[in-house]
Amino acid sequence: MDSEQLKAYLKTEGATIVGVGDLTRFLAKEITHLGRGISLAINKGLTQDAIERLLKLQRLTEAWLKDRGFRSLSVPPDSDRIKGKYIARLYHLVSHKTAATCAGLGWIGKNGLVINSDYGSKLSWATVLTDAPFWPDSPYMESKCGDCDLCVKYCPSGAVQGLLWSRQAPEAEIVVYKRCLSLKKKRHVFEEKPNCGLCVTICPYSRKKQVKAKVRGVKTGS
Amino acid sequence: MADDAKKQEIFDKMKNGVIQYDEDACKEGAQEALDAGLDANEAIFDGLVAGMEEVGRLFEAQEYFVPEILMCADALYAGLDILKPHCKQMDIGVKGSVVIGTVEGDVHDIGKNLVKMMFDVAGFTVYDLGRDVPLDQFVEEQLKTDSELVCLSAMMTTSMVGMPKVIEKIKAKNPNCMIMIGGAPTSQELADKWGADGYATDASNALKEAIKMVSFLKKLRDEKLAKK
Repeated sequence: MDSEQLKAYLKTEGATIVGVGDLTRFLAKEITHLGRGISLAINKGLTQDAIERLLKLQRLTEAWLKDRGFRSLSVPPDSDRIKGKYIARLYHLVSHKTAATCAGLGWIGKNGLVINSDYGSKLSWATVLTDAPFWPDSPYMESKCGDCDLCVKYCPSGAVQGLLWSRQAPEAEIVVYKRCLSLKKKRHVFEEKPNCGLCVTICPYSRKKQVKAKVRGVKTGS
Repeated sequence: MADDAKKQEIFDKMKNGVIQYDEDACKEGAQEALDAGLDANEAIFDGLVAGMEEVGRLFEAQEYFVPEILMCADALYAGLDILKPHCKQMDIGVKGSVVIGTVEGDVHDIGKNLVKMMFDVAGFTVYDLGRDVPLDQFVEEQLKTDSELVCLSAMMTTSMVGMPKVIEKIKAKNPNCMIMIGGAPTSQELADKWGADGYATDASNALKEAIKMVSFLKKLRDEKLAKK
């Protein structure tokens, strides 16, 4: 089943990028019947506004699939912050990163985040699982970071280890999150997730659009 | 008659809200029931639980899977949260308190939570110990609360081996306490061997067992009402 129609629809509704991945081998028993992951992202930080836009896109996706007789399960962008709901028990069984890499939308960079070849890590993600038999896009299997180690150099807490991600070694500790968090806690009081963001902004892929826009003399939005 | 029709309409709204995992519909229905001065217990049983019974059937027929069940549970709770404060303790001859938890070494608690939900709707006082609960805590909690029912859940064989110890300890101190065990590795044989009073192998069976139990309470209540 072709996914182009759904992708085009979601893009007109505001999605920056959309892909479909085969997640069958990454899912727990409770949800293996929902083997396709629709990974979608918008090129904004995970603000309240971005979350709402992604939730709207997910609702549209659900409705689109339901109209055609398919099941779906939306994993919201801020799935780790949702507590006290039964369905939230299933959220931790699905990783937005896995969905994104399987859908061919990016690889896991040295900074531990999904890097898209056009937008770098400046994306907010959401995933919709479905049993619709879409042909999956071709997944990333290896990191494309190469020799670049800007995020390793610029990380103020030495959390970024400089390892190249590969699907063959998913357990590698690419970023030592303990270190990343401890530094943040000393400096600020965070109400939500701490986020210094240097490893995002320094990434050449994240800056790609900015650089192009500057060359053309266009002011970039934040 | 007009009142009965209105009542049914409100109950159906809640019932369908649960079936179609529509939290807003359940909330609205629950509020309408209260506004109309309907009995909260009746609204729970003939609205929310009726919906969950249908969900149980859909699950058995494999039309619903675990994600749908969990979303239905969320919808049910959305309505229950509104109705619960207005509930009278049901007068059905059982005092109704239960200690429930997933045993030490196990963090799988979907089934446990579904069973807990059905106890909640039945008006039981539920002492939920959560997951990965040390064995002695079940015994202590049972003694402390004098609950007549203890539910032990485990998904893994390795954590299940703790169950007979808890059963033995509780039965030694309080022979009248009923004990239910649940989780994939449990069976009737094991329940018999360990002296447990009931068992359920998975979330769907646990839900079925719990629905059966609550349906039974519902029947008792109806019989009682009929006598009056």
